[in-house]
Formats: sequence, structure tokens, C-alpha cells
Amino acid sequence: MTVMVAVPDSPEGRTALSAALDETRLRDTDLVVLNLALDPLDVVGMPSDLPITVRERTGHADLADSVLAALDEYAGTVDLLVIGMKRRTPIGKALLGSLSQRLLLEADVPVLAVKR
Amino acid sequence: MSHDTHDAVPSGPTTETLGPHTRRLKLLTVVATFGGLLFGYDTGVINGALPYMTDDLGLTPATEGVVTSSLLLGAALGAFLGGRVSDRRGRRTMILRLAVLFAVGTLICTFAPGVGVMVFGRVVLGLAVGGASVTVIAYLSEVSPVERRGRLVTQNELMVVSGQLLAFVGNAVIGGVWGEAGGVWRWMLVIATLPAVALWAGMLAMPESPRWLASRGRFGEALAVLQQVRDAKRAEAELAEVRALAEEDEAAQTAGWRDLAVPWIRRIVVVGLAIAVMQQITGVNSIMYYGTQILTESGFDRDGALIANIANGVISVLATFVGIWLLGRVRRRPMLIVGQIGTFCALLLVGVFSLVLPEGVSRASVVLALTVTFLAFQQGAISPVTWLMLSEIFPLKLRGLGMGVCGLMLWIVNFLVGLLFPILVAAIGISATFFLFAGLGVCAMLVAKAIVPETKGRTLEQLERDFKHGGAPARDMAKVTR
Repeated sequence: MTVMVAVPDSPEGRTALSAALDETRLRDTDLVVLNLALDPLDVVGMPSDLPITVRERTGHADLADSVLAALDEYAGTVDLLVIGMKRRTPIGKALLGSLSQRLLLEADVPVLAVKR
Repeated sequence: MSHDTHDAVPSGPTTETLGPHTRRLKLLTVVATFGGLLFGYDTGVINGALPYMTDDLGLTPATEGVVTSSLLLGAALGAFLGGRVSDRRGRRTMILRLAVLFAVGTLICTFAPGVGVMVFGRVVLGLAVGGASVTVIAYLSEVSPVERRGRLVTQNELMVVSGQLLAFVGNAVIGGVWGEAGGVWRWMLVIATLPAVALWAGMLAMPESPRWLASRGRFGEALAVLQQVRDAKRAEAELAEVRALAEEDEAAQTAGWRDLAVPWIRRIVVVGLAIAVMQQITGVNSIMYYGTQILTESGFDRDGALIANIANGVISVLATFVGIWLLGRVRRRPMLIVGQIGTFCALLLVGVFSLVLPEGVSRASVVLALTVTFLAFQQGAISPVTWLMLSEIFPLKLRGLGMGVCGLMLWIVNFLVGLLFPILVAAIGISATFFLFAGLGVCAMLVAKAIVPETKGRTLEQLERDFKHGGAPARDMAKVTR
């Protein structure tokens, strides 16, 4: 049983990552990190005792779609998705959509949504 | 790739030796750059054709603006769609289709009975111009050896200004010899079918881009093409590189709109957009499109203006040469800002002299000297820096999106300048219009000083760090470089 975390390039992303690390340790399992930033994940300071897989972004896909696709790929092994949340302005939401809303509604595993 | 500094010339697998492949590559470059030439001819020909067209078709300042700028609207669309189509169908197929589109658009314009058909024909031409602007550069950079790639963008720019010069010369000759006959502008336009046919026929004999073939998994064909344009030893070695570059191209398409939510990414895109706007907001294309009319209004007769306008074309070509040479030697930021100071002064003086001198040959000569000065700074400094910087500031995964929106912005501002210039001249007069451009030039200078980073000799990683830490990369850099 594996924990998966979606880490966008934002403070919420880092909050989600640290929550996911705690959760992984608690469940004594392994962690799949989906890095949604455009540059590689900064792995400095990540605990070395946990089994962690980092997946970088490839191809031109909507962020939510790529997370859902990764969930499908790990279907049966991942049993928790960790995401970060923040308050959005209506305009920002209208322009760029809401990643966390889509993941909460469409992921078919339990979602742990952490606030900062 | 991402670790190269911008100036380093990466040494290929082996250095290039001379042979039959060299000739093949040269021929290929010449054929493909006919696309750039057509781009220049079709945007420049309107300059001399417009005065005749105005009489024949009964154009008002507003419809003059529409006829001129409708091409640019088509070009924005063509540049936007062109990338997708050439990714799907291949560069060679795309260029062949563009050649047909160039010819069809030209013929529609040539036989246009009125403004409506003319505008339609200009939009069709614009689609070809915009499509060529992205496809020809992609094709050339994909078939050329790595050490030549850096120069290609600016070389294409050279072909564009050469096409404009060719159009100006053609206009002057046709206007001078057959100026009294009716519909002489139709002859000016129809000449553009010749390079279109040459492009089409030439491309039939040219191979598809090896990188595109590799991106489709057609490695055998890619190797066959490489053997035509590289020496035998290098072809094998390069297939691996081509494969890697095809993957890199795919990576370049990673970013989407949602990534603009990240502040540092937004900052880079804003700087790119600012660079694009600054290149057009000087009003360079008001001179490239309306130069003959500016000179006529200043006091030359029609034939004299057509001939004098050639000077604008000549200086553009010469300055582009100088610009390419300068790029390798001076830093980008000072080059840009010096260019802006130069264009600002020239614009200001055109405004002043149009105000104080009486209309006549002396005023027209002064205006000509100033437009030539303006173009020297524009094409010798601002434009080359623009093309290069836009290709340098975006990190790999952002490149597709970044270049796309900045290219679109360039065409839109170009469209607005083309549309509004005749309307402004009719409404507020020529000197006030130039004062307006000079004012916009001051704004552009301040923006350049505040936000444009130095990219020469810096890796993408260094730039990325600057954009991540604070909004004023330019200032940080000044400290480093001093």
C-alpha cells in the first residue's frame, strides 16, 4: 500500500509533500511523488530512510489529467492521494481552473487535502 | 543542452568536412529561405503598391489600414496553427503547402476587383506568411549541423528584410516604367508568384527534416536524410543526437496555461511579452508598410518616393548584417537600450522636422535621412536582440508555450500599428503620430531597463534562478557583470 502526493510549484505543494512524508512514515509504506513543477524536484532535505519514487512531468497534458493517469497506473497499490489546498480568487479559478477540486471529485482513492 | 551557455558553440560529434553534402545543405538552405524572402516581399510590396491602389480601389485611410494589416491578422493565425500542422504532417509537406498558399493569396490580391476580395486575399497571404515564419525556421534548424543553428534565426530575418528590399526595388522599377498605365499595382503584387513557384519546385527535391522523422519513430528515414546532408561518419553519430533533440522538442511542449499560476514562470512570460511588444511599438512597420506614403506626404513626387524608399530597404539589409555581427560581440541589454535611444531620437526628429520645415524636397530628404537612421538602429540592434532573446529566456519545458504567446503578441502589435498608422496620420497629422511613437519608445526604454535580463553568456539555469528570486533580474545582473 503506497502513498501518492501531487506537488505543484507552490507553497501548498511543499506543505502537501511534508504531510505526505509524515503519512508515509506513519503507515510504514512507500511514497510516490508526482512533481508537477517545470523543473526537477529539489530532493535535498528529503529523508533517505523512506522508499521514495519521484516522477517528473512529461508530455503536454493537463496537470489534473496527469495525476489521474498516474493514479490509474498505480491502481491497486496506491491507497491515498495527498494534495495541498489554498483559497483561490474566483477570477483565478475561472482562468486556470482548480486542480484540487478536480482531484477531490475524480480521484478514486481517498484524498488527504492539507491546508497551510 | 540546458547546461550550454548561450555563446558556447557546442562542438559536434566530429567537425564538419567538405563534400557533396555541403553543397546539398547549402542548396537546401537557399530553397527554404525563399519562404523568408516571400514573407518579406509580401509584407513590403504593399509599401509601393498602396498609393496606386488607393486611387484604383478608392481607399480611405481606414481601408488602407485594413488592407495592409489584414495580412498580419492572417499571419497571427498562421503562426499559431502552422506549428501544429507542421508537427503533424512534417516540415516539408507544410512548406510545399505554404508555397501553394503564397501563390493563391498573391493571385487573389492581384485580381481583386475591390476592397473585400483584396482583404480576403491579404488574409490568405498572411496565413502563408505566419506559417512560413515558424515552419521555415523549424526546418532549417532541424537539418543544420548544431554549430550553425544559433545563426539561423537571424539569417532568416536577413532573408525577410532582403525580400522587403526586393519588393521596394520592384515597386520603383514598375512604378517608374509603367506608372502611367492603370492597375500598375497589380503587376507589383503578381511578381511574388515567382519565388512561390521556386519555393514549391525546390522543396519537392528537398528531404524531410530528420528530427521530425525521428520524432515519429522513423529512424531509418532520418538516417537516410542525415547521410545526404552530413559526411558519412558524422551522420551515424548524429542520429543519436537527433533522437535526443526530438525528445527535447517533446519536452518543450510540457508547460500549459495552468503553469502561469507559478509566479516565476509568469515573470518570464511577462518579460518575453514585453520584449515582443518593444520590438513592434517603435513603429518600424509603419515605415516598412507606409514608407512611400510618408515620403510622398513630406514632399517627394510619387516616382521619387518609390526610388527613395529603396534606401529604407537597403539600410534594413545592411543593418541586419551589422546586427548579426554585433550579437556575437556585445551584451544584449546595452544593445537593446542603445537601439531604443537611437530609434527614439530619429522618431522625435521626424516629428520635429515635419512640423518646422515646409513640405518639399528638402523636408522629404531630411525625413528620408531620419527613417534610414531609425531603421539602422531598429534592424541593427532592437530586432536581432528581440529574436535572439525570445529564443534564450525560456527554460526548456516552457519553450513551446512561451514562444507561442510571444509570437502571437508580436503579430498582434504589428497588426495594430499597421491598422492604426494611416488612420492616425489622417486624424492627428504625421508629426503628432511620430511624437506618439517616440513617447511609446520612452516607455519601452524604461521597461527594458527595469525588467529585461542580460542573457548573453548565461545558462538557462542561472536565468531561472534570477527569475525565481525576486522580480528584478536585471538589477541583480548589473551587480554581477560590473
